[in-house]
Amino acid sequence: MRLQDCTTNSATLALEILKKNNEKLNNIVTFVEPTIKGEGKLNNVPVVLKDNVNTKGILTTASCKILDNYVPVYNATIVDKIEKAGGQIIAKASMDELAMGGTNLTALTGPVKNPYDLNRISGGSSGGSAVAVASGAVPFAIGSDTGDSVRKPASFNGIVGVKPTYGRISRYGIIPYSSSLDHVGYFCTNVKDAATLLEVLAGRDDNDMTSSFEEVKEYSKELNSDIKGKKILVFSNVIEAISNKDVIESFNNLIEGLKKKGAIVENVSFDEKLMRAILPTYYIIANAEATANHSNLTGLLFGERLEGSSIDEIMIKSRSEGFGPWIKKRFVIGSYALKEDNQERVFRKAQKIRRLIVEDVMKKLSDADGLIAPAATGGAPLINSTSTNQMSDEYLVADNHMVIGNFTGCPSITLPMGYTEGLPIGVNLTCNPFKEQTMFDISFAIEEITGLADKVKEDF
Amino acid sequence: MEYDVVVGIEIHLELTTNTKMFSGAPYKFKSEANTCTNEIDLGHPGTLPCVNMEAVKKAIMTCFALNLDIDKLIKFDRKNYYYSDLPKGFQITQQFHPIGKNGYIEIYVNGGYKKIRINRAHMEEDTAKQFHLYDETLIDFNRAGVPLLEIVSEPDIASGEEAALYVEKLRQTLDYLGVSDVKMEEGSLRCDVNVSIKPKGSNEFGTKVEVKNLNSIANVKDAIDFEANRQAELLEKGEKIVQETRRFDEKTMSTVSMRLKESSVDYKYFPEPNIFPIKIDDAWINSIKEAMPELPDAKSKRYLNEYKLSEYDTNLLLANKMMSSFFDEAMKSATNPKNLCNLLTSELVGLLQKDETPIEKSPVTPVNLAKLSNILDKGEISSKQAKEVLEEMLSGKDPETIINEKGIKQVSNQDEILKIVKEVLDENPQSIEDFKNGKDRALGFMVGQVMKKSKGQANPKMASELLTKELSER
Repeated sequence: MRLQDCTTNSATLALEILKKNNEKLNNIVTFVEPTIKGEGKLNNVPVVLKDNVNTKGILTTASCKILDNYVPVYNATIVDKIEKAGGQIIAKASMDELAMGGTNLTALTGPVKNPYDLNRISGGSSGGSAVAVASGAVPFAIGSDTGDSVRKPASFNGIVGVKPTYGRISRYGIIPYSSSLDHVGYFCTNVKDAATLLEVLAGRDDNDMTSSFEEVKEYSKELNSDIKGKKILVFSNVIEAISNKDVIESFNNLIEGLKKKGAIVENVSFDEKLMRAILPTYYIIANAEATANHSNLTGLLFGERLEGSSIDEIMIKSRSEGFGPWIKKRFVIGSYALKEDNQERVFRKAQKIRRLIVEDVMKKLSDADGLIAPAATGGAPLINSTSTNQMSDEYLVADNHMVIGNFTGCPSITLPMGYTEGLPIGVNLTCNPFKEQTMFDISFAIEEITGLADKVKEDF
Repeated sequence: MEYDVVVGIEIHLELTTNTKMFSGAPYKFKSEANTCTNEIDLGHPGTLPCVNMEAVKKAIMTCFALNLDIDKLIKFDRKNYYYSDLPKGFQITQQFHPIGKNGYIEIYVNGGYKKIRINRAHMEEDTAKQFHLYDETLIDFNRAGVPLLEIVSEPDIASGEEAALYVEKLRQTLDYLGVSDVKMEEGSLRCDVNVSIKPKGSNEFGTKVEVKNLNSIANVKDAIDFEANRQAELLEKGEKIVQETRRFDEKTMSTVSMRLKESSVDYKYFPEPNIFPIKIDDAWINSIKEAMPELPDAKSKRYLNEYKLSEYDTNLLLANKMMSSFFDEAMKSATNPKNLCNLLTSELVGLLQKDETPIEKSPVTPVNLAKLSNILDKGEISSKQAKEVLEEMLSGKDPETIINEKGIKQVSNQDEILKIVKEVLDENPQSIEDFKNGKDRALGFMVGQVMKKSKGQANPKMASELLTKELSER
């Protein structure tokens, strides 16, 4: 579904479809009656929000038990922006608990199904939002991206997933995961919509000190698929680690297409050791920040409170019951990394390695226009899949390279690239900070080459 | 055995700003509970901190006043701990990069100045206020997020008296600076002291005991004196001093143990990721420095050296910020500092005290008091008349109007006064006799008579001189 296809009854219709689909996809936590609160670029557009986006007066759970009764007293900045532009919020979508995960299997409401194969995962952590767009219910859904939580599910669901530059979209009102890595991102079905949506969402917000003063451009008007002379780097470490032949073939075809359009394509390799350190570095930083970020979830002022004979007991009981085991594991890792005795050796070291990775990537990216690689090593895994070898390069590098976009804060987008055994596979493009226009332009060219704009899966 | 007392002081200062340290919620002391608070102060999910630059400005002013080196890169850190008065589960503070380092102030003790070094000053946010009742705890979140500046001294303080002087000096300086309400009783200036003792002259520090939440300067002194004695008695008995936190009990004038300090708590400090380091430019710092009000030390020097006021008068003026600013305002047009100071500190203050009007609400303006002082200085009226005029000035009228309306003026015409002097002498032969017999009081009596006859308008100094002269001729 495209933004421009929306008419006066789109929101009502979309809500009906979402409700019907939810029985199979299980991607929605809360349905919301649409109301029109403004007028602009999103007139008549039904919108789905990830359930970590605070909506005043509307349940916002972050798919976490301790927040399953949390009704925010304020709107996230982007909610106001969407409504002011005429968008109508119709649902809050399922996610991995507190956005910590890549499968959407940890949501309080259970796994979200992939519309291409109901036995497969949607990907996460923004799985519910991705599926809402991929199933053709809405043209636009909000997600958040801390590792690749928008860009990976976009790949698994054959749609466009955007994570702009850090600071481009305000994070105010988004229930956090890891503040230095969290980005607001979004899903849609084509590059033109992606460009229009950023015009609505981006901009400085005084409530978020990390939001940028950088001017917001008319990306959709400027959109231009002429990429002659654009220098695009192929991420060799990733290509070399991928075993799926369909992925490699689609990717090579795409690269040929880009060359035909006049792009200068060069292979680039980054320090192997650093690439293998991406995931552990991410884990340390993200979990350390998360354990502090979620210290407010005690059941005392909001959320599920379990009774106890002392304040400590209330907090301990509420937190013990309120989080899934995977969350507790992350809190333990985060606390371990921050402990005074360990901090230099673990957390500070991870920050240093992050900086080394950023320096290595930026050195090469800064005199090019983009860095390109497959967004995943294959199609969406089965819900009951056996665990992967977490020490392999395929997992460590090829499955997690998009974290680089969060380390650097660089804008990064996933677009549909092809199929493997009937499942969508995506391509990821990362550009220089605040060069969203370049990112959309190259994406526009990619869309022309693949012919995969506006692909949705409405029957499942 | 004799002991040296070693004291270090931590002060938590509430900075006066319209809004909180990291949120736009308004803050006013004594507001109804939980009305000065928003989703940020309550630590709701998704909220982000936003640095209050007015608080930063006041912190910078304080750094200047306390001779601290200012860190031009403002950075914040998280201090993590779970407590019901801390909604976020962490406090945003400046652990690794305090805004101010290595400062000092001077106190005047035992007839000389002593430097007390200040280790650091750092910005942070206050916690909520808790009220523990019999079986429940009430929490007022108005205080949550209020800007605080923590000022940590070096252990340079050697007695309860010095500690009291240090706190008073800080309080006065910060009051003049206008960065805080500095009210210990209301908690806008809170004081924790660390006390230890060591054998006289020894270089080894003893075990430190912390006494928390002292809410008056007298308590600071009393708590330290008590604590030093208690520790000395323990050592004399051969007992050990335990590292602990104690509180001061005003009723018994003693310190009471609150909790032992076991292994120190790990707060897992790490840099606050939601606030990028803020670079403050020199132009801003300079503009803050230029706009700094004059501090008590400088004022004191000016009063003593430039105005030649006595130390007593100087201290009298400085004891109250409003008093000295009234004085400074009046001095813009007054000619005689001593006259002005007397009119202000003994006459006007006395009149105002009758109905407890504070000096800043005085109906007599600084300009009018200066006028009165100048009229007195020129000898146009007597001191006694000045008092009368001042009383009338409480209605808001200026002194010239009152003097004109009442026809008050001092007669300084020599012939006129001489006429009255002669009359008085003629009427009081006994007094002349007394005077010649060495009774000085007789002169006073006769001056009084001259004043009476002139209806108070004669210049008493001239009357006295003329009387003396006439007497010597009779």
